[in-house]
Amino acid sequence: MKEQKHLYHKNFTLVVAFLILISISLVVAMLLAYNLTKKYVENEFVSNKIDVLDAAINPYNDLFQNKIPEISFYQGYLDSASVKKYSDTVFFNFPFVERIVFYDASISNNKIADGLRVNNFAMGPKAVYQFGKNVSKDSIILFKKNLPNTLSLKASDEFNKMAVKFAGFIESADTTQSLSDDDRYNIFYSINPKRITYLSIPRREDLQVFKELMFKEQPPSLEYQQDLMTFYLNPFRLKLKNPHPELYQHIIIKPLVYESLDNNPELINTDIPLPGAFSDYKLYLSSSKSYLTKEINFRFLPIATGLLLIYGVLVLIAYLIFRNLNINSKMFKLQYDFINNLTHEFKTPVSVIKIAGNNIRSASQLSDKERNHYGKILDEEAEKLNDMMNRLLSFTQIENKAIKIKEEVINLEVFCQNLVDAYQIKYPHFNMTFSIEGVDHFKADPVLLGSLFRNLIDNAYKYSLTDKKELHIVIKKIRKNLVFKFTDQGIGIPKKELENIFKKFYRIQSQYNQQGSVGLGLAFCKELVNFMNGSIVVKSREGKGSEFKIALPFEEFA
Amino acid sequence: MQKLTRCFWVLSILILNSCTQGKKIELIPVDNFFKNPEKTAFLISPDGKYISYLKSVNNRLNIFVQTIDGKTTTQVTANKARNITYYFWANNNEILYLKNYDGEEDQELQAVQRDGKNTRNLISYKNTRVNLITFTCTINNEILVGLNKRDSTVFDAYRLNIKTGALVMLSENPGNITRWFADPAGKLRMAIASDGVDETLLYRFSEKRKFRAIVKNNFKTTLAPLGFSRDSRIYALSNRNRDKIALVEFNCRTRKEYRVIYSNPLVDVSDGVISKSTNKLEYAGYDTWKKQRFYLDANVKNMYQQIEKQLPNTEIRVTDRDLSGKKFIIKTFNDRNPGTYYLYTKADNKLLKVGDVSSSLKEKQLCEMKPISFKARDGVIINGYLTLPKGEITSKFPFVVVPHGGPSARNSWGYNAEVQFLANRGYGVLQLNYRGSTGYGKAFWIAGFKEWGGKIQEDITDGTQWLIRSKIADPKRIAIYGGSFGGFSALHGLIFNPDLYVCGASYSGLLNLFSYLKAIPPYHKPYQEMYYEMVGNPQTDGDYFRRSSPIFHTDKIKVPVLIAQGSKDPRVNVNETNQFVKELKKRQISVTYILKEDEAHFFRKPENKVEFYKELELFLSRNMGKSN
Repeated sequence: MKEQKHLYHKNFTLVVAFLILISISLVVAMLLAYNLTKKYVENEFVSNKIDVLDAAINPYNDLFQNKIPEISFYQGYLDSASVKKYSDTVFFNFPFVERIVFYDASISNNKIADGLRVNNFAMGPKAVYQFGKNVSKDSIILFKKNLPNTLSLKASDEFNKMAVKFAGFIESADTTQSLSDDDRYNIFYSINPKRITYLSIPRREDLQVFKELMFKEQPPSLEYQQDLMTFYLNPFRLKLKNPHPELYQHIIIKPLVYESLDNNPELINTDIPLPGAFSDYKLYLSSSKSYLTKEINFRFLPIATGLLLIYGVLVLIAYLIFRNLNINSKMFKLQYDFINNLTHEFKTPVSVIKIAGNNIRSASQLSDKERNHYGKILDEEAEKLNDMMNRLLSFTQIENKAIKIKEEVINLEVFCQNLVDAYQIKYPHFNMTFSIEGVDHFKADPVLLGSLFRNLIDNAYKYSLTDKKELHIVIKKIRKNLVFKFTDQGIGIPKKELENIFKKFYRIQSQYNQQGSVGLGLAFCKELVNFMNGSIVVKSREGKGSEFKIALPFEEFA
Repeated sequence: MQKLTRCFWVLSILILNSCTQGKKIELIPVDNFFKNPEKTAFLISPDGKYISYLKSVNNRLNIFVQTIDGKTTTQVTANKARNITYYFWANNNEILYLKNYDGEEDQELQAVQRDGKNTRNLISYKNTRVNLITFTCTINNEILVGLNKRDSTVFDAYRLNIKTGALVMLSENPGNITRWFADPAGKLRMAIASDGVDETLLYRFSEKRKFRAIVKNNFKTTLAPLGFSRDSRIYALSNRNRDKIALVEFNCRTRKEYRVIYSNPLVDVSDGVISKSTNKLEYAGYDTWKKQRFYLDANVKNMYQQIEKQLPNTEIRVTDRDLSGKKFIIKTFNDRNPGTYYLYTKADNKLLKVGDVSSSLKEKQLCEMKPISFKARDGVIINGYLTLPKGEITSKFPFVVVPHGGPSARNSWGYNAEVQFLANRGYGVLQLNYRGSTGYGKAFWIAGFKEWGGKIQEDITDGTQWLIRSKIADPKRIAIYGGSFGGFSALHGLIFNPDLYVCGASYSGLLNLFSYLKAIPPYHKPYQEMYYEMVGNPQTDGDYFRRSSPIFHTDKIKVPVLIAQGSKDPRVNVNETNQFVKELKKRQISVTYILKEDEAHFFRKPENKVEFYKELELFLSRNMGKSN
């Protein structure tokens, strides 16, 4: 018994240990997950600025790679009217372009007043126009060829730079090869802070012509058209989109050298320089710490829920295992008690028989009285043993549904009176009464019914104080049932035990059942009633008495 | 027993199936359509004793000479780099031929004996093109050639002695002469001068005298000299003061048209054939839906009718004849035969087959080409040709609309490798002579001026709609494909009729009209003004150029595109094609791009051609699905 207790105790600690372990794991996992989420969000804050940059700079790339090279498609045939149309689409689609200056250039070997001349190669503007939202109509024309030497240095600055670069390229160009991407970028684009200048790319054949113009003495040549355009850009008009509103609270464009003088330690920030013509500027992104914490919590929530869910499942499993163990241990205990009790029960009659047997053997001679006395003792004790075995046997039989009901019509009056008479002989102090209301006969197996009655009567007797050994049996028909009520004035059953008394091998620990009880009586009754398709309930008040109510189906019979 | 019958049924079904499989149209390998002709350009020596032809050796055309009885054959040239583009018998013993330098456009004129010996370089200058003025037999060992070696933009006329190699300049080109003509005696007596818009016919009564301007025509008017008649008169094709070109005799002394020899009310006269030996007009040729002849000589008529009797339902051309006019080389062809050459002997009216252009193509496997016509949206009748693939007529075919290049050109009836290739692959082919095409009169041609992105494209669209309306084409499986201007039209169709075509292919297609006009090469300078009138002026018609040029409209293309381009294409700027492809790719449009570094406006190398057509086949089958 002790060893068993020890065993079950150990299992319990295992469960506790398990619970503690998973609880610790939960806490650790929560902490780790939170820290990782925090790191992750902080990393994203730093790395996702590239997305913001991409979104902001996309139109610029579109302008740079598609819209500007479109100038080349016109093959130098652009004039002020077509540039006006072109620039209108640019202003519409790219609001960060503020102004476009268009140099309608021509290349020849003629003498020119304005422009650049290298050897015989002359490149000069025929006209210069500017377009823009804030350009008034009378300031569109910056220069016309028919008014030589009116081209201001400021207006011609971009042109001259490009012309020098282009002339240098012509001088050394290998015109048998097609242009490399490098050349296209280096020669025909000029990218300065806040402005891009583009010279239309001539065809390879034209480059050959230009080279000849430069180095060969030729009669005055045709004028070859080239278009040159400068786009003035305003970085502050770049449309900023925030593809990560959960990360960035504020996105602004600031000069590259800008540093926040804000001392607010709550504010965290990061920046990324803009490319190309905007390289003097950067995107400045900032968020308050609490803003990020909100995001961290937001992301942590599902993780925490998941962890808790796993934890819950584990606890549930632990509980189920624990409960299983508990039931097993109780069952074990019950069976153990049963064997214990049974042994006691058997031991008393057996020892009486043994003493009687011993006395008979040791006596030299037996008087009639002695023989009678011992005979009676042996008979009674054997009867007790037999009774006990029968009960055990019939119980297992009923439990296994191995017996067959032999139903017959019972006269209840006679049946009860017989029982009362029998008990009066056995326990003369036992005050037993019965009353039968509105019914005389009942169809049932008299053996089973008798068994049921005897068990309940025995219990009433056993669990009553000596001066209160009383039992009243009421039999009456209620609707389709025949109800048997056994009311005693006994010690009663504690409330918490009420639900257990019908269990097998269960005995209430009290001074009244120290011996002669195996905890089978009520369980047997319950099995019997069940077997007869009836029900049994108990009402009891401790110290006042108990009332067992059995309802058995009543069959009308002719 | 039952099992056996079942077995029998299964077997017979299998056999039936395999039979119908066998009936399926056999796919002819791409190479068979596009490889060099096996034998072509048959000529007969002046004395009628030898027949010469060009034959493909290692995929390059070389000259072969065989005796008239076909018993001995000699390979005369062994050119490995480039094809021989032109050759002729200088006399009974020597053949002159033009060949290209590898990779360069420069040409060489060489001479070789008919036994393949004694190859001589007659003309070979860097950056110089050879323009033959006389291209028949030599007279006193002399021929006339045009060379642009003095100035790359103009051709001067020279007399070349093929024995001594002596080259004498006959007439320096003042800068505006675009073509020279020699009379039957080999004297330089006529020229065409052009200032870009106007063409002037120059004539002189003998080589000693000076050229005099006889008549000046706007480029829209044709006066194309064919040969010299008597009394300072010339034969010419002319549409002066009329819509359709007629065969006329023009008097250079009075500067007036002398008489109309033949004109047709429906179409231009395309041909006037003059006998080499008698200098008499034989017939006037004109194209309705196919070539027709109006005979001007009873003997000639008789001869053609004799030949037609022996070769019914084919086109017949006399390609060469001996000096005595007894033996003739005849080329015949039809829609399903790229060409067969015969030697015809007039005396016994006998035809002897001497060679096939492509013997691997069987007439039975190829598809018939039928003339069609439909009304465009404004009521103008548009003619065209329909080629349906073999198979059931009831089903709707996947179709490829193939607008021709030019646009100053036309589709004619006859064998067309591209069309037959597509039809063999199971596609119906529609070709159409939209307005702007030549051959249907001046007005019809001029109707296409400055309509490259306008009425011409509408006609093509109307043609496609006509296919759908006539329930010939499966409206969900129509592609558009073309080369040069045809490629421009294909892209234009994809851009402006995005729901009409499931895919489109452009072979050296024009992408940008600005570049196209900028690219008129130096020696075409006189044509610039003309182009301005035909296409538009990039300065003043910039908006129209922008609206019509595919390069400005990549954003409107929604279906898969195939683009083939030579890097050295003078008319299409390869940088622009790259940019075009890049932008399509950026927009996730499926693009098949075939770029050939060493090719120009059209692929010349047979292997590149074959690769292109294989890609085209894959592209079409990928995007059109082969069956319903």
